[in-house]
Parts: sequence; C-alpha cells; structure tokens
Amino acid sequence: MDDPSGPRERTNDDIIRKKDRIFDDIVRELSQALNISPTDISMDLSLRSDLVMDSLQLYELVIDMEEAYDIRLPDEMLDDIDTIEDVVELVYRLTEQDK
Amino acid sequence: MHSDVEEMSESLVRIFENVLLTEGKSLSQGYFSDLSLAEMHTLTAIGPYEAKTMSQTAQKLGITTGTLTVSIDRLVRKGYVDRRRDDRDKRIVRISLTRNGKLACRMHSKFHRVLAKRILESYGDDDRRTLVGLVKEIDVKIEGLLLRYEGNEEKSTIRRTAREIVDETGNNKTDK
Repeated sequence: MDDPSGPRERTNDDIIRKKDRIFDDIVRELSQALNISPTDISMDLSLRSDLVMDSLQLYELVIDMEEAYDIRLPDEMLDDIDTIEDVVELVYRLTEQDK
Repeated sequence: MHSDVEEMSESLVRIFENVLLTEGKSLSQGYFSDLSLAEMHTLTAIGPYEAKTMSQTAQKLGITTGTLTVSIDRLVRKGYVDRRRDDRDKRIVRISLTRNGKLACRMHSKFHRVLAKRILESYGDDDRRTLVGLVKEIDVKIEGLLLRYEGNEEKSTIRRTAREIVDETGNNKTDK
C-alpha cells in the first residue's frame, strides 16, 4: 500500500548505508584487482600514492562502478579524485542525481 | 623570412602529422599495442556507453559500412567489440565495446586530454582562453571547408587520404 505521507525523506542513516554499500563494492573490486586484503583498504587511502594505481587500474574501477550503479563518470570528474572517499562521494552524488 | 601564410600552412601540416605520430607511438608502447590507430579510432567512434548501429558508426568515421564490417570483424576477434542483432528488429546489427574495448577507448581519450593539458599548461588563464578560442575558430573553418565538398567525390578522397595516413601510422608501428 502507498505511504499516504508521500516519498520518505532520505535520513542520515539511509545516506550512510548507501555510502557504506558503495565503499564495500569498491573494496571488493580493489582487493581483487590489486591482490590486497580488504581489511587493508580504508576510506582515506589515496588511489595513486597509497595504492599506486596506474591509469588502467583506475579506469577498470571506473568502468566497474559505472556498470554497477548505471552512472557515467566522465574524465573531467576523475581529475578531482584522490582518495577512496572521493570515489564513494562521487558515485553517491551521481546515483542521487538520477532520482 | 616566411610569410604568415607559409608559417601557418607548415604548422598545420606538421601538427596533423605529429599528433598522428604521437598517438601511434603512445599506442604501440601502451597496454593496447595489439590495436592499430585506425582500430582505436573505430573504438572511439563506437564510444564506451550505448550500443551503436553499423551505419551510425560508419558515418561518424567517414567510411562505408563495408569497410567498417572488415574492421569490426577484426575487433570482435581481438575481444574489443561485441556485435549482436537488435532484439526487436533482426535486420539491425548493434555494436558495443566489451570491457576491454571500454578500457582501450578511455585510455585513448586520456591520451587526448593529456596532450591538451600539456599544450595549455604553459599559458596563463587569459592566454589559455584566447588560445582555445582561436583553435575552435580554426576547427570551425576547417570543418566548413570540408562541408563545401559535401556530396562531392573530393570529400571522400579527403576522408580516404586521412584514413590512409592513419592506417599507415598503424602499420608502421607493427613493422617495427
């Protein structure tokens, strides 16, 4: 049955849960691609300087995120990405934009 | 001393040749060295997102669908392109990039961006804007010249010449 109060407002918990899910997906991708333990991957790690990812590995992650969340991550946006948290925020923002 | 016209003419030709050569060399030394520059441009014309028809892609590349079919056959074999019939209209063939194709396409776009960044980085904001504006004007003028040949045999000759140079660059790479 429809909720008479209309669409439910997104709470902080919803936002955190969704970002956690994005983070988990990224951790899974990176631990497989870079052959590192998921427990070694945290939000504050820099993709280039800490994880030493090259452009190809970065695009592998980008393509997988685009497919998983049905979004587009153009190169202009990738210029500003440094940490895993930046990726989480960007993916979250783009998935919310489509709503 | 060279006149402005001569200098401009020489620079245009050199830029065209050197961009192609740089692209070719960067490709041959990169992750996707099994692709020729012409093949990479075919991937770029298909693009990393929605599937395209053969005629859309051929038109974008300025080649016939027959020529494109040969190129697509090769790219399917190499694992860069996926080709399938449209679910609703079986007469239509749709082509899209595989994961590897998307990677190659995006890496090549990155090359173009790096090239542009290198050129722009030595200029201040005002000069950058002026330069970008002038280059855009050149682009429009050349596109206009090309459109004058629309429908003429000369247009296809120009396209063919450009394509031959691209192919040649790709072949030189494999000769090494």
